[in-house]
Amino acid sequence: MELEKLFSPGCMSFDLRSKSKIEVIDELIDLLHKSGKITNKEKFKKAVLKREEEFSTGIGMGIAVPHGKDSSVKEPCIAFGVSKNGVDFDSMDGKPAYIFFLIAVPEDSSDEHLRILSFISRKLMHENVRNKLFNAKSFEDVIDAFTESE
Amino acid sequence: MKKKIVAVTSCPTGIAHTYMAAEALQMAAKKMGVEIKVETQGSVGAENVITSEDLREAHAVILACDTKIDEERFAGLPILKASVQDAIKNAESLIQKALNMERKNFVDEVYKVKSERKEKAKGVYKHLMTGVSHMIPFVVAGGILIAISFAFGIRAFEQEGSFAAALMEIGGNAAFSLMVPILAGFIAFSIADRPGLAPGMIGGLLASRIGAGFLGGIAAGFGAGYLTAWLKKTIKLPKSLEGLKPVLIIPVLSTLIVGLGMLYVVGKPVAALNSSLTSWLNSMNDTSMVLLGILLGLMMAFDMGGPVNKAAYTFAVSTLSSGQPSVVMAAVMAAGMTPPLGVALATILAKDKFTTEEREAGKAAFFLGLSFITEGAIPFAAADPIRVIPSIMAGSAVASVLSMLFGCTLAVPHGGIFVLPIPNAVSNLFMYLISITAGTLVTALILSTLKPKRSE
Repeated sequence: MELEKLFSPGCMSFDLRSKSKIEVIDELIDLLHKSGKITNKEKFKKAVLKREEEFSTGIGMGIAVPHGKDSSVKEPCIAFGVSKNGVDFDSMDGKPAYIFFLIAVPEDSSDEHLRILSFISRKLMHENVRNKLFNAKSFEDVIDAFTESE
Repeated sequence: MKKKIVAVTSCPTGIAHTYMAAEALQMAAKKMGVEIKVETQGSVGAENVITSEDLREAHAVILACDTKIDEERFAGLPILKASVQDAIKNAESLIQKALNMERKNFVDEVYKVKSERKEKAKGVYKHLMTGVSHMIPFVVAGGILIAISFAFGIRAFEQEGSFAAALMEIGGNAAFSLMVPILAGFIAFSIADRPGLAPGMIGGLLASRIGAGFLGGIAAGFGAGYLTAWLKKTIKLPKSLEGLKPVLIIPVLSTLIVGLGMLYVVGKPVAALNSSLTSWLNSMNDTSMVLLGILLGLMMAFDMGGPVNKAAYTFAVSTLSSGQPSVVMAAVMAAGMTPPLGVALATILAKDKFTTEEREAGKAAFFLGLSFITEGAIPFAAADPIRVIPSIMAGSAVASVLSMLFGCTLAVPHGGIFVLPIPNAVSNLFMYLISITAGTLVTALILSTLKPKRSE
């Protein structure tokens, strides 16, 4: 799996400052925008919030995976963030979320990228992967968390 | 043996939750010692697709879907519906619930398919079927009473005042003369509601009087129905006279128009068509009998009670309308009985190629077959259409052709094996049973050859 195709060091934050759901989303979108992965912050944010309206992407177990599919996205990418104090993300289990993946997908993306996303989604269901992600300090740690358990 | 569950996960964007739910189900199943196969319908398309082989082994289906997915392929299996979130959050309890579900009773399942088909039927087909289904009791009652009258001797009814004559009066004169009016009346009823009934029945009665028979009745029914519906919509009256519309204006106008239409326009050509069809049927040589037999047999099995089957069946019932036992009716009933019978026999001949549930279902299918309920083969065909449908079509064609060649006739439109003991309901009874048995054997042998060995 070529996780490097989706993750990049510039789109990671190991100490998110945000205190609320909307702030987290903004903070992660900023990361993507600064790295030039998306062209229009507001438009992409709209897509993400629209998805959140259906039901929260806070899937419980301390994880949230907000995502948006929009033409403002240049290539599929993920912004990764960890919040040490946790943020209320309207999660299914009612508990705060600590680990965030903001997934950005253009209107038409290759199957390869979508497969990597499905791989990551599946990995997140495993507790040891989540623990490693929570304690990650670097880009390499995140990649390792996904690949080591393979 | 480990119990096996199949599941489908699908969420609106198909990017993350679809796969998380799948993983959650797989992890839970592993922990619980349950075999599971999860099909993901995400943005990449369907992956790890559930095969018919999986379905045969499956105990139940979990649909963790927030999108609409096609459930038809799971017919016959208990289905547990849940949201994607449920699967992520409570995978274990979902699996436990699915394990606790009972496979639906086979006979219930068949009747469910029947009633669903009825609900789904639309337009012309639905109207025709409404007419036919209301007509059937008249044909059954009439046909059986006529057959019993023949039991006293084929000419016994000519003796005035005898019991045989009374039976002929009830069955042949009363019941059978209502057949076409009821058909036409309820076709029109289905189209135009209550106001359609009068012009439809009257048109139908005219059709049978002028010899336009069954075909004329269908024409009268549709004519009356659409005409009445149109009149209801178009005639506008002042409020004070509105009350007269349903009780006076529509019945008179619609009946007048349909009646005149039957007598002066439609009647003659349809009567001619009807009599040429009848004489063609009566004078059929062996070749055309074989061809007609094959065609009707294939049609009866093709969709097992669906529109194609009903078309063949309705044609057969129409050949009864003259009050004579019919070779076509006999062939069609034989062809409609063999699909469930053949499949049932296959589950016995090739035990190792069917699951325990299927072998149980085979017993029920056997009785449905005996009762001429072709739908009994549907659950088998749904699980494995490629092998089952050709097998039953071949068997039905054989049964139908043999019955025709042996000259078997049937006086009633339904009843399966249960009408056979009635004297004269079937002519050439022994050869008729041979035809049905042959068709059953053909289906069973083809199916048990085609079916693959089950891999345990």
